Amino acid sequence: MLDLRDLENRTLYIVREVYAEFKKPAVLWSMGKDSTAMLWLCRKAFFGEVPFPVIHIDTGYKFAAMYEFRSRLASEWGLDLRVARNEEAISRGVGPYSGDRLECCTMLKTQALKDYLEREGFDTLILAIRRDEHGIRAKERYFSPRDESFRWDYRDQPLEMWDQFQGLATEGMHMRVHPLLHWRELDVWEYVKQEGIPVNPMYFTRDGWRYRSLGCEPCTRPIESTAASIDEIVEEIRGTRVAERSGRAQDKEQTFTMQKLRALGYM
Amino acid sequence: MSVNVVVVGHVDHGKSTLIGRLLYDSETLPEDRLAEVQKLLEEYKRRFEFAYFLDSFQEELEEERTIDTTRVLFKGRDYYTVVDVPGHKEFIKNMLTGACHAQAAVLVVSAPEGVQEQTGRHSFLIHMLGIRQVLVVVNKMDAVDYEQSPFEQVKEDTARLLASLGYTGLTFIPGSALEGDNIYKPSANMPWYRGPTLIQALDALEPEQVAEKALRLVVQDVYPRAPDKLTVGRVEAGTLSRGDRLVFQPSGATGTVERILVYPGEVEKAYSDDCVGLEVAAEPRRGDVAGPVGSTPAVTEAFTGEVVLLEGTLTTGDVFEIKCATARVPARVREIRQRLSSETGALMEGDSGVINENEAAVVVFDTEPLALEAFSETPQLGRFVLVREGRNTGAGLVLDVSG
Repeated sequence: MLDLRDLENRTLYIVREVYAEFKKPAVLWSMGKDSTAMLWLCRKAFFGEVPFPVIHIDTGYKFAAMYEFRSRLASEWGLDLRVARNEEAISRGVGPYSGDRLECCTMLKTQALKDYLEREGFDTLILAIRRDEHGIRAKERYFSPRDESFRWDYRDQPLEMWDQFQGLATEGMHMRVHPLLHWRELDVWEYVKQEGIPVNPMYFTRDGWRYRSLGCEPCTRPIESTAASIDEIVEEIRGTRVAERSGRAQDKEQTFTMQKLRALGYM
Repeated sequence: MSVNVVVVGHVDHGKSTLIGRLLYDSETLPEDRLAEVQKLLEEYKRRFEFAYFLDSFQEELEEERTIDTTRVLFKGRDYYTVVDVPGHKEFIKNMLTGACHAQAAVLVVSAPEGVQEQTGRHSFLIHMLGIRQVLVVVNKMDAVDYEQSPFEQVKEDTARLLASLGYTGLTFIPGSALEGDNIYKPSANMPWYRGPTLIQALDALEPEQVAEKALRLVVQDVYPRAPDKLTVGRVEAGTLSRGDRLVFQPSGATGTVERILVYPGEVEKAYSDDCVGLEVAAEPRRGDVAGPVGSTPAVTEAFTGEVVLLEGTLTTGDVFEIKCATARVPARVREIRQRLSSETGALMEGDSGVINENEAAVVVFDTEPLALEAFSETPQLGRFVLVREGRNTGAGLVLDVSG
């Protein structure tokens, strides 16, 4: 097993670097286990509070249990929760049933985030992505600059050595920061258990099915599972060779969909 | 425990293929990843290659080369974080980004091609990064009919190159990442070889012993918090104990550690890599380095470093911003003392007034007061990045804390 203390220390260091070096950071929260662990680590880094806003990009298609979890934790942890929605696209009828999924993800997630960032002027976004989730995410830096139009210039990523992270070179850019990049799915669960971090009950089995990765209701499928506790989830992941995001439609719609989504600024 | 291993070597000598093979044979890959790669290859009418597990950018597949670094984790005796890096000269900054945290390196040299330009440059760079443990895989043995004599020739050339950088007594493994010989599974194709497979050699690496050092804590920030301010930082070397009397440099603040906080509680001691909060009756600043009274970090206004430049040029009189630990100070190039070939590490003749992209040099800098140490003393405080116009453009190690 990887040493959770090492993983945690590295994340705390990165989050504190963000707070020291950037003017207006925020953290994205999808209510999944990773971004909830990320919030927990922010609370740990700043001794009990998250000192910047917590943004949820709401497509309107999330599971009811996710909205319940959101309200509960936001009040328990005293979060400065901001909900961002692309109301224009939603009212126009853009959705998972209206066209292709690439467009839906781009409009309801990426565009919603873009509009919100522009309006509020955040210069840094903390995101809980991990290298082991997807081949494209394995190519990311801890600090990854995006231009005005949100583009990820993956052909010219910054030199990032010895925890010397690059700052923002020009106005209008924002920084994506990925403090959980080095964690694996298994490590997150071990950590959730060790720290007693609350998780959405959808991760546990119900009638023989559970969710391994949470997204929008129409595009997320559960897996067959009997895991009813965190220990059982850990055992299940140790023994599986099926990918974590196998239930997530946008990852495999077409070849390189994930790369295209990320190049356009997808989380 | 986990070991960070970087795989280096010349373009097309098989770095990504070797890692893909390790992942495949150790059954680390998700099953659907294999199906995904197979689907891709049908679209692109390509023969299956293990490298496609690592090269996940569309351009990497289309151009058949690695552009940026990737890391993957797999299990041997311990966990290994294996870092794939691009072999092209134009992607050296991506190579360094991937290699800088490695404790060990696997140098891949193609049996039919032997030592090439990036074999030398990557060897020089891993040496410069202070990576002491190196294993050599002489790859593509299938292309030389698994014969011993080409292996011996490549081994001799590579050993000579590495010896010039101070690496001796190395393990050389004849293998084929493509066919799977001596990577994860032993090979029946080379009865003349009795040494370890790559995974056996990795499992046999001994962790380097770190000598007990004086405490060094780097200050990241100071949080206003009732009733006192809270200093946050990371222990880079030694042990921090409650009650320690610390001197922070270069600010000169001095105080006793009253409490060490790790939310939600507190601890008596903190060790290397721990990120902690300190209640200390002193007012340090971000960029300060703390040490115990009696072993205070030195403050310098000039130092000598070995630098590799990745963008632009570096000329006498140029001003860069230097980032070392959490300090950021302006620094002027006083003198380029020696130019080094980044291909061999050898001293270069001729005009020494300027160094160019992908070149290396020994440089003397004048700086604002800065607490740093020689890389050989405390690696965490002896490495720095050169920043110009907001971009990280070069990296260096401190050779001497004087000019």
